[in-house]
Order: sequence, then structure tokens, then C-alpha cells
Amino acid sequence: MADTGAVAARRCDSCSSSSVSMETISGLTELEDLEKIYQQLCAEEKEVEAELDRLVGQEGTIHTKMLALQRMGPNLQLIGGDASQLSGMITFTCSLAENVSSKVRQLDLAKTRLYNVIQRTDDILDLKFCSDGVQTALRNEDYEQAAAHIHRYLSLDQSVIELSRQGEESSAVDASLVMLQEAEQKLKVIVAEKLDEAVAAVDLAQVERFFKIFPLLGLHQQGLARFGQYLCSQLASKAEENLLLATGGELGEKRALMIFADTLTLLLEGIARVIETHQPIVETYYGPGHLYTLITHLQQECDRQAQKIVDKFIQQRGYHNKFQIVQSSMMKSLPGERIEPRELDPVLAEVTLMNARAELYLRFLRRRMTADFEVGDAQSITQEHQQNVEKLLKHCLLSTTMQELIGYYIPMEEYYMRESVNKAVAMDSYEKGQLTSSMVDDCFYIVKKCISRALSSSSIDCLCAMINHANSVLESDFREVLYNKLRQGFPATTLQDIQRGVSSAVSLMQSSLQQGKFNTLGIESTENAKAAFLNDCCKLFSQGGGSGDQAKIESCLSDLVNTSTKFKDLLQEGLTELNTTAIKPQVKPWISSFLVISHNIEEEEFNDYEANDPWVQQVIINLEQLMAEFKMALSPVIYDHLTSRMTTLISSEMEKTVLKCSFSRLGGLQFDKELRSLVAYLTTVTTWTIRDKFARLTQMATILNLERVTEILDYWGPNSGPLTWRLTPAEVRQVLALRIDFRSEDIKRLRL
Amino acid sequence: MSMEDYDYLFKIVLIGNAGVGKTCLVRRFTQGLFPPGQGATIGVDFMIKTVEIKGEKVKLQIWDTAGQERFRSITQSYYRSANALILTYDITCEDSFRCLPEWLREIEQYANNQVVTILVGNKIDLAEKREVLRQRAEDFAEAQSMLYLETSAKESDNVEKLFLDLACELIREAKQNKLDNNDTAPMPGEGKTISYLSCCSLN
Ligand SMILES: Nc1nc2c(ncn2[C@@H]2O[C@H](COP(=O)(O)OP(=O)(O)O)[C@@H](O)[C@H]2O)c(=O)[nH]1
Ligand SMILES: [Mg+2]
Repeated sequence: MADTGAVAARRCDSCSSSSVSMETISGLTELEDLEKIYQQLCAEEKEVEAELDRLVGQEGTIHTKMLALQRMGPNLQLIGGDASQLSGMITFTCSLAENVSSKVRQLDLAKTRLYNVIQRTDDILDLKFCSDGVQTALRNEDYEQAAAHIHRYLSLDQSVIELSRQGEESSAVDASLVMLQEAEQKLKVIVAEKLDEAVAAVDLAQVERFFKIFPLLGLHQQGLARFGQYLCSQLASKAEENLLLATGGELGEKRALMIFADTLTLLLEGIARVIETHQPIVETYYGPGHLYTLITHLQQECDRQAQKIVDKFIQQRGYHNKFQIVQSSMMKSLPGERIEPRELDPVLAEVTLMNARAELYLRFLRRRMTADFEVGDAQSITQEHQQNVEKLLKHCLLSTTMQELIGYYIPMEEYYMRESVNKAVAMDSYEKGQLTSSMVDDCFYIVKKCISRALSSSSIDCLCAMINHANSVLESDFREVLYNKLRQGFPATTLQDIQRGVSSAVSLMQSSLQQGKFNTLGIESTENAKAAFLNDCCKLFSQGGGSGDQAKIESCLSDLVNTSTKFKDLLQEGLTELNTTAIKPQVKPWISSFLVISHNIEEEEFNDYEANDPWVQQVIINLEQLMAEFKMALSPVIYDHLTSRMTTLISSEMEKTVLKCSFSRLGGLQFDKELRSLVAYLTTVTTWTIRDKFARLTQMATILNLERVTEILDYWGPNSGPLTWRLTPAEVRQVLALRIDFRSEDIKRLRL
Repeated sequence: MSMEDYDYLFKIVLIGNAGVGKTCLVRRFTQGLFPPGQGATIGVDFMIKTVEIKGEKVKLQIWDTAGQERFRSITQSYYRSANALILTYDITCEDSFRCLPEWLREIEQYANNQVVTILVGNKIDLAEKREVLRQRAEDFAEAQSMLYLETSAKESDNVEKLFLDLACELIREAKQNKLDNNDTAPMPGEGKTISYLSCCSLN
């Protein structure tokens, strides 16, 4: 153990003397150990020798290096001297620079002070100039000049003025200040008086003259208030005059119907014009953001005058009275005082027009105020300004008054719609040659009219409410009428009338959605119709409506689309009934008469059939007559649906019948000819592809035409080519068995 | 025709006096915020939120109505097609509670008889100002066969629960209706049992 430790120690320090100490050696007693140590020392010796050789070998290079170093000695001394010289120079430059920069700083400070001094002197000079100038200007009644001086004085730095009062010139400055302050007060009084005088004298030029002076004196709010007052009094007298004219009669019948809407329009247009005219002056002399204040003043007068007009409207048109009658007759169907829907027409039209005008006016105000704020607000209009605008517009009396009017309008319009629809249903009549009875056109005309009128109010909530009501009337009342008629038993002719009703209901649904645009897209286009109508609405509301408004209209309209789907379901229901009650009983015997005609025929009979068609021509003639009746009476879309159902019926009846017959080779050929004629005819009467419906029958004819049983394999399985078999192998066998000349063993043996 | 991505679509209409917190409840639910100082609602506001309940996508169309009398006729036009009504009052305002019978008459008159109605007492964060005791409201709701829930739009208490429970109830009724339609003719609104909602309580 101990010696391995010793060996390890040696490795750590290879360059020093041997790792084996003298003590260790002298302590050794065993020969074996001695030999081991000896070996070790020998190896060490060798290593040391090699190391020595290597070091001696390096001597030459070291020597050359030493020589080179010796040569460099003097140069190094030179560099040292240069370096200390450079350092001295740098220190010098540095202190010099510091010296200079502190002087510059001092200069800078001096300059700033000088500036301030100049500014203050200027101010003091201005102060003097102003105080002198204001006196002269006042004396000359040049109020603009005087106000300009005061404005200059007000914009002086007040602290500077304070400081100046402590200087040598203090008494002079003080005097000027006192004089200016006095002049300011005096001017304020004069300007206010003069403006009042001008207002009283209705002298617009003078009013504007003094209005412009107010902001120079820092009296923005006062100026706007007084000017607003002036404009309001102007508006008021004009409005009163107009209202008097309106209620005085003496108007043409036609204009009289809309007189309150007209009067309101005059008022609102008048205000808009006032704003338009005076906006530049406010902007120029008061700066941006002040139009809002002026409009706030004007709106008060607008509210007052609009209220008067609306009050008169309510009174003279008996608006509330009408509403109450409508309400009570809608609540209970008891016989009480009733109003003819027709009587409501004018007042409903007038009230929607009034609201539309108010909306237009409020939109105008919003645009103007927002634009004015946007000039002043740093980036976009501030939240606070935006809120002010919205608050003014949404909660002004004009808005709430209109909301109230619309609140009464909606039930009255609803009543109008329900009553008129009921009436149209009650007076339903059918003229020969028409596709629909009168009720259908009438009902949709009414609904369309009511929605259009609501739309013309420009109120989105009003429009949505009427769409909701229209939907309710159509979905419950009108649909119920149609449904009940459908349920009243099915004599074929009445039934056709109903078909007409429903079908036109569906297509009218769409055109009513499209606001009278002609719809060529057919029955599946309700979505498109909705989009188109929505588009129209959007255009109408584009200035005011946000995306929320659009979502509202869209949602209400999609309910209408759902109703349209319910009408379509009703139509399908009706068609099914019509098919089973009016078509099936007639068509079925025509088809089954096929059984009577033998198809187990030989050459002679085949030729006979060729000359005198035994069956198919008569069937075609019969169908032609039946379809002609429907074609005349039904709308094209419905007619198409019906023919589709009829062809389905024919093909399934044919199939059943054929399977009951037996065929010879020529009989099969005969059947093939007959089927071709039938399909050719049916193709001409419907736009649907009927080949598909007759695919199974055609394949049956193919089978009945085969020469031999095994020939089927030319058409079957891998040989079928483009033909897709609609018949199962079992059915193929069944059809093959109809041929009397095919042996059943052959058929059984077939591998299908 | 675009196939929209949802399994159910329900219309929910909020009604109740002005100022009880209808708009705040809707904003809290749809936008997750308590709006500071917005003005009273004008007419109706419309918002949509799609939620997922037990793996089914439910699109909620929420109509927030104005409480003032002058908007009543606009509001009324939305009752008929509503699947659910949230009748809201303010627990710190006795007056808003006393108006409830009037609102119930409106519902009776205009809503379809399958509508699910839930009574909501809002502003429970203002416990110290409470004027309507919980028990009283619960009794009232029970007598009228309505569900009852107390909420705070401000503290977001029970707001999610309100709408999600309602959605669950509507899904349940929709499924029930489908079943009924499949065997016998449905008798809408009759014998409807009112169960307290528990199908999707929230964590
Ligand atoms: N403390 C408290 N205030 C509420 C709460 N919900 C609404 N409010 C306040 O009640 C007022 C009316 O709320 P709003 O949602 O506009 O009522 P709405 O007229 O029913 O739509 C607002 O000032 C809201 O800040 C609530 O949960 N707690
Ligand atoms: Mg609200």
C-alpha cells in the first residue's frame, strides 16, 4: 500500500529529485523491495537524462532571443520618454478644455438672462404700449383694437409682471397695470352692453362684431351664451310664425296632411343653416371645440320649438286619442270604438317623416360637433368629448319626444297591419285566370307597406319592431288561415286555390324581402333576398348606424326568413295532399290499363300496334290534359314541383304494372318503344331531369329486349361500362322471368 | 346557404325597470366588464355570445331592452320570439320590485307560453342597502313559477351562472319538445315543471 502511494507521489512532481527518499532506501531490508526501488530509480534516471537533453537543445534559440532583446534596450528607453511627454500634453489639454467649457457655460447663462431681460423689457414696453393703446382705442370706440391690447396684456407672463413691479420702474409699471385692469373691466362691460344692444336691435353685423371680441377678453363661454341667445330668439320668432301658419289652415289638401312634419322640417333645417353659417366665425375666433357649446345653446331652443310643434301635432291629429282606441281594440276584441285602418294612413306617414327629419338633423349635429372636436383633440376625439356629444344628442328633448311618438306609432302600425290583413283575408276573392286569390297579394302588399313605412322613419329600433310584428302576423295569423283552409277537406278545385295561395305566399315573401325588386332567383333565394334587403337598409343607415344596428336588423330579418321556410313546408305539405288526392286517382288507372294490352305478341300484332298505338299515346294525351289544367293554374315553380311528384308517381306505378305482365321478344321491343315515348313526353313538360327517375324502368326494358338469357352478361358486372345498375340481381332474374321464351333453368344458372 | 357553427340558438330578452342593471349584466357576461357611466339604453341593444355546454355549442342572442315607458312598444315586439326572459329588479330598490307584477302582465300578454322566465335580483354587492329580502323575492318567484337568482354585475357574482343555467334549461326544454313531438302532439306550455337548475353549476 505504502509504496503505491509513493509511486503516485512521484508522478506529481516529475522534474524534482527522485521520489524515493534516502530514508526509504536505508529502511529497506528485503531484496525484492530493493530491486523494485532500483528498477524504479533507473527508469527515473533515464527520464531525467532525456529531459536534460531536451533543455540543452533549446539553449541556441534562447541565446538568439537574448541578443535580440539586448538590441531593443535603447529603443525602449526612447519610448518611455515619449510616453511621459504625451501624458503631460494630454493633462494640459484637458485642463485647458475644462477651462474653456466653463466659460462657455457662463456665456450661455448670460445669454439666457439677456433673453429674459429682453423679453421682460418687451413685456414692459408692451404693457406700456397696451395701456396707452387701450386708452386711445377706447376713446375712439375702436373696441377691436382695445380688446387686442387687453388680449396682449392677458397673455403676458404674470410672474414677469410681478417681478417688474419690484424693479426700479415699479411705479410706472404699476400705473400701467392699474390702467390696463381698469380698461379690461370697462371693456368687458361695454362689449356686453353693446352686444345686448345689438341683439335687441337685431343687428346681425353688430352682434357678430362684438361676439368676436369676447374670446379676446377670455370670455368664451359668455360670448357663446349671448350669441346663442341671439340666434335662439331669431329661431324662435321664425318657428312661431311657421307654426301659426301651419295651424291657421288655408293650405292645399295635400300639404295639409304633412303640415306638422313640414313645420318640423323647417325648424330643423333652419337650425342646421344657422350652424352652417356661423361655424366659421366660431372656429376662427373661438378656436376648435367650441361649436359644441354653441350647439348646446341652440338645442335648447330647438327642443322648445319642436315640443310645441309636436304638442300641436298630437292635439290636432288626435294622436293620443287614436292610440288609445287602437290599444283598447287590440287588447280585447270586444266591440267598442274602432278605427278604420285606412284612417291611420296619413298620421302614420306623417309621424315617420317627422322622426326621419329628426334623425337626419341629429346626424348632422353629430358630424359637425365631432369634426370640430377632432381639430382640437390631439389624435382622435377624446372619450370625454365623445360622451358629451352622445349625451347631448341622445338625451335632448327632441330625441325623447321623437322616441315617444315612435312608441305610439308602433302599436298603431301593428294595428294597421293586423286589421288590414284580416280584412284582406275576409274579403278574399279569386278571379279566373289569376294564379293567386286576392288575399295573398293583398296581405303581402300590406306587410310590405308597413315595413317600408317603418323603414322610412329612419329609426332602426322602429324598423326592427315592425319586422318582428310583420313576422308575427305572417307566421301566426296568415299562416294559420292558409293552414286551416288546407285542412278543410280536399275537393280538388279548392285545393288548387290553396296551392296558389301558398305558392304565391312563398314567392311574395321573397319579393317583400327585396323591397319590391323583382326576384328571378327562384324559390331557394331567400338568403340572397335577405342580403339584398339588408344591403338596402345599410345604405339607408350608413351615416348613423354602427355594426350593432346592422346585426339587429339582420337578426330580425332572419326570423322573417325562417317564416318563409315555414311557408315552404306548408307548400310541400299541400303538394303532397294535392298529389295524393287529385293526381294519383287519375293517373293510376291510366297506367294499369297497360295490363290489358298483351305484350306476348308476334310479328303480326307488333305491326298492328305499330299502325294503331294501343296504349301510350292515349296515356300521353290524358297526362297532357291533366297537366295543362295545372300549368294554367299554378305558378311555374309550383307546377314544376308538382310535375316532379307526378313523374315519380308514374315511374313507380309503371314498375309495379310491368312486373305483372308477360312478354315475348317482340313484346319487349314494344315496351321499349312505349317507354321511350313516355319519357320523351315527360321530358318536355318538366325542367327536372327525369331520366334518373326512369332509370330502373329503362333497365327493365333493356332486359326484356335481350335475345338470349346469357346476353345479360354482356351488360353485367365487368361489362357494364358506363351503365350503373339500379336493379338487384334478384330483380334482374325477376324481370328475365317475365319473358315467356326464357327458360327458368337458364335464368337460375346465371351467375350475377 | 351558410351552415352556422352551433347546435342551438336561443333568444334571451332582458326586461325590468330602468337602472336595475340589465345592461351591466349583459356587458359583464358578453364582454367581461362592468361599464363605467354609460347612459341609459335607447331602444334595444343586441349582443351575441356562444357558449359550450356539455360539448354542444349554444349561441345566445341577447336583447337588452330599455326600461322606460316610451320604449315599451319596441320592447314588446321582441317578447313573442323570445325563448327566455330575464326579469330583473334591483335588490336595493323596493320600487323596482313592486313593479314586477306589471312586468308579469306584459309577459302574460306578449310572450309565447313556452317562454322560460327567470327572476333576477341584482346588485347584491350593495348588501347594506338591501331593501328587498331574499326570502320575499323567492316566495314571489315561486308563486309565479319562476326561477330565481341573485346577482352582482359589479362583482361578477352569479352572472355566468345566470346565463349558463338558462342555456341548460333551454336545451333541456328543446330536447323535451323534440321527444314530445315525436310521440304525441305537444301541448305547449302546459304542465311545465319548474326545476331549479343544477345541470351545470360552475366552479
Ligand atoms: N353596485 C352595483 N351597481 C350596479 C350593478 N349593476 C348595475 N349597477 C349600476 O346601476 C346603474 C344602472 O345600470 P344599467 O345597467 O344601466 O341599468 P339598466 O337600465 O337596467 O340597463 C349604473 O349606474 C350601474 O353602474 C351591480 O351589480 N352593483
Ligand atoms: Mg340598459
